[in-house]
Amino acid sequence: MSSVDLTVEICGMSGDGTIAAGGLLNEAMSGAGLSVLAFDSYPAEIRGFGRCVTLSRFGDEEMLALSDKTHVLISLDDKESRSRIPYLVKDAVVLYDNRPPSYVTEDQAIAAHVDPGVRLFGMPFGDLAAEATGSTRGRNLVALGGFAALFEVAPQFFHEAIKKKFAPKGEKILGANLKSFDRGYQYAGKKFEERPLNLLSIPKAAGEEKRVLLSGNVAITRGALDAGLKLYFGYPITPATPIMEYLAKALPERGGRVMQMEDEISSIGAVLGSFFAGQRAMTATSGPGFALMTELITHGVMAEIPAVIIDAQRAGPATGLPTKTEQSDLQAAVFGGPGDSARIVIAPTNVAECHEYTLKSFQLAEKYQTPVIVLSDFFLNNRVESTSMPRASDGEIADWTLYPDGSVKDHYLRYRITESGISPRAIPGMDGYLFNATGLEHTEGGIPDYSPANHTKMTEKRHRKIQGALQDLPPPKAFSRDEGMDVGVIAWGSTFGSALEAVLGAQKKGLKVGALKITSIFPYHAEVIRTFMDRCKEILIPELNYEGQLSNLIGHLHGKDVARLNRVTGLPMPASAIYGKIETLL
Amino acid sequence: MSEEHVVIIGNGPAGNQAAMSIRENDPEVRITLISRESGACCRPHLFPDLIAGKIPEEALYACPIDAYQERGIKLRTGQEVVRLNPEERVLMLEHKEVVRFTGLIIAVGGRPRIPEPLLVFQDLMFTLKTLRDAKAWVKRLSEVESVLIMGGDLPSLALTKALLEMGKKITFLFNEDAFWPLRCDDALFEEVGERFSLKGVEVLANRPVKSIARKSEETYEIEVDGRKVEAGMIGAFFGLVPDIRFLAGCGLRIDRGILVDEFLNTGFEGVYATGDCAQIYHPEIRDYWVSIGHDNAVALGHIAAQNLTGGKMQAVMPLESIFEVKGIKVNTSWWMEF
Repeated sequence: MSSVDLTVEICGMSGDGTIAAGGLLNEAMSGAGLSVLAFDSYPAEIRGFGRCVTLSRFGDEEMLALSDKTHVLISLDDKESRSRIPYLVKDAVVLYDNRPPSYVTEDQAIAAHVDPGVRLFGMPFGDLAAEATGSTRGRNLVALGGFAALFEVAPQFFHEAIKKKFAPKGEKILGANLKSFDRGYQYAGKKFEERPLNLLSIPKAAGEEKRVLLSGNVAITRGALDAGLKLYFGYPITPATPIMEYLAKALPERGGRVMQMEDEISSIGAVLGSFFAGQRAMTATSGPGFALMTELITHGVMAEIPAVIIDAQRAGPATGLPTKTEQSDLQAAVFGGPGDSARIVIAPTNVAECHEYTLKSFQLAEKYQTPVIVLSDFFLNNRVESTSMPRASDGEIADWTLYPDGSVKDHYLRYRITESGISPRAIPGMDGYLFNATGLEHTEGGIPDYSPANHTKMTEKRHRKIQGALQDLPPPKAFSRDEGMDVGVIAWGSTFGSALEAVLGAQKKGLKVGALKITSIFPYHAEVIRTFMDRCKEILIPELNYEGQLSNLIGHLHGKDVARLNRVTGLPMPASAIYGKIETLL
Repeated sequence: MSEEHVVIIGNGPAGNQAAMSIRENDPEVRITLISRESGACCRPHLFPDLIAGKIPEEALYACPIDAYQERGIKLRTGQEVVRLNPEERVLMLEHKEVVRFTGLIIAVGGRPRIPEPLLVFQDLMFTLKTLRDAKAWVKRLSEVESVLIMGGDLPSLALTKALLEMGKKITFLFNEDAFWPLRCDDALFEEVGERFSLKGVEVLANRPVKSIARKSEETYEIEVDGRKVEAGMIGAFFGLVPDIRFLAGCGLRIDRGILVDEFLNTGFEGVYATGDCAQIYHPEIRDYWVSIGHDNAVALGHIAAQNLTGGKMQAVMPLESIFEVKGIKVNTSWWMEF
């Protein structure tokens, strides 16, 4: 467990520069050598309405999950920040603007509402920014300066972060931001005698590999680029839009293309078309867009065409809660669409896995000639983590397509029945390998055929193929110390980090508990999961959905009902909630 | 909760007691206790024991911090009132927050007094008014062996005893105006000096300080009347002055403290002052008196609370306990302790 574990929130209104300040804070702390896990929450409205919150957890060891206890709150807007008070630890530090533009009443002042143990540090954010630059716009930077002084973080780390962000915007903007930060740092350094914590005193691991700060969205993008992505088709939707934005810049530089389509149906259609033609392609969407794609996904299943689809889940159903997180597309990803349309569904649990699994999804799609769905979620897409710079090996980049050999030239059967279910796939244009591809049920040669025997045979082939993919899918990973456990926690996606933190905490207290990470959602490693379940008296599956979608999928492997912990708050799963549930099962 | 809102400024012994007594009298009224200090109410007369390591920090508190919440008292720590309008019944905090009240008790206590000639050396001196001050003493004493104490007010006498027990070398620059707002009479002045000398304290009486210089991390050099004294730290103990600068021009009558009648009322309905910051009218001697000391503060806090909640209790100390020195009448509960 970390010797230092500090959770910092910045809260303000849209337009206060809250998210920008959070990004700079994360970058600076990562630069100072701390592990970072951070997440922003902002309203659906673009600007002018609603609360923005950045939540960052810093420590000297890897951060597994966000904490629901805040040690430091930087309030850029007291009225909005009041909502964060219940999350403050008893002796939290609150850094706030003590010279708001106008007088405030008690209900508008955070100082009127915090508990008496909370330590208040008031700074005139706006006045100091105006002193430094002639404008109050830099008040968020002043606040960061105050934080740096209070927690004894060398300004150089913030300077570097500020330069990285603002240097591209020109000297004037960069200079103003640096001046605002420095003014806040000087003011707080003189005014506040108390130093709640010296962050620079935290020991850093010697020789540790350089770590970078990456969001899930950027990691997905890098994974796709490392896989040799050639074409991206998409339609904007929160929280997947940044993937298209990043690729719009990066892909053309590598000879690829990004095209914004008229909708999600055309996006998946274009992805299938690209893979059909032998080019790696991808689309990214969220629940409502994914729903539109389902028919063509099943077309990919039936016609055995690869595709890579990122489903960045958000709270639903329908348009739902666009800026809130949830894990409620599992059933749609695994079962969505007409017919028995088995496909591969994988779900990363952290930012590093966003890279790893996106990269892998291209090979899986090619080898098993099927759409592969990467299930991320709003929290995972938008959170940033300090992680080792991901790099793809040649093996990970390699083309996994099984091409037909010369012996079948001129009598090529595109959908030939094989033991593995995988039929060698020709690319249109290959001389002597002409074939018919269709969404209708078809014969081995691709000719439509609705006969009972053919449909049965071909359905079995397609499912055999998908089940066979298990050999290339990452198996579940157990985190346990005891052969027999009182409670085993099985989790997937972004919830797994919280589950592991809860389990490690429980193990530290001597409890016989363990965790199982599942990243291969479909097909899944039933025997591995069953073996883990057999070691546990009780199985708990925490999920950010109401129906218990993973529980419904794998719960039958346990001899009795599994315990469920389902939350639909739109917020990440707190480790404390899982820990609390574990206690009730003991 | 009723619409009544009682605000108490200051969470020293007087303010804390006032809040508790109001709650006892009225379980419904909204009470806000605003304190510039962090944490719960401390009993400052125990600071010397804390410094000597005789008691833990928890023992300083008059009540645990959770007790305020349990009693429905909103304690606002680390927040400073900067302006008051008793007529309009509003006050303003440093962060531009406006708070309305129906009743007010001012119990801000005092702040350490540094005589004007020594103000230039203020940054080099340790005072002992708050818990933060006490912690600063603990930290510095762990690094040094010798202490120079200037002044000679009541807390300094207790602290000197504690420092002697800790084996520190003490030089006492005893000053006759240390009991500000009164001065020691000659007999007392001599007696204290003799007692300390007997205990190994080097007493230098009424010597003016010419300069203070930092010789090294561990040592200060103090030039006193032509003589140089070295010490690891310097304590300033010249009494307290009511901390009422924020009341300037607000309409309250101010002399050395806030002038109040024998019921602790300031002249504005529902606005009271109590504890060390009040100068209280005594109808028998027809003059104002000031109070020093923890027990007095608690008693006065209780009286202010009674009167704010409809009582009619006089803050009249027995005449024999009030003594007059150089024209100022003082009652102190500490006096007999030393």
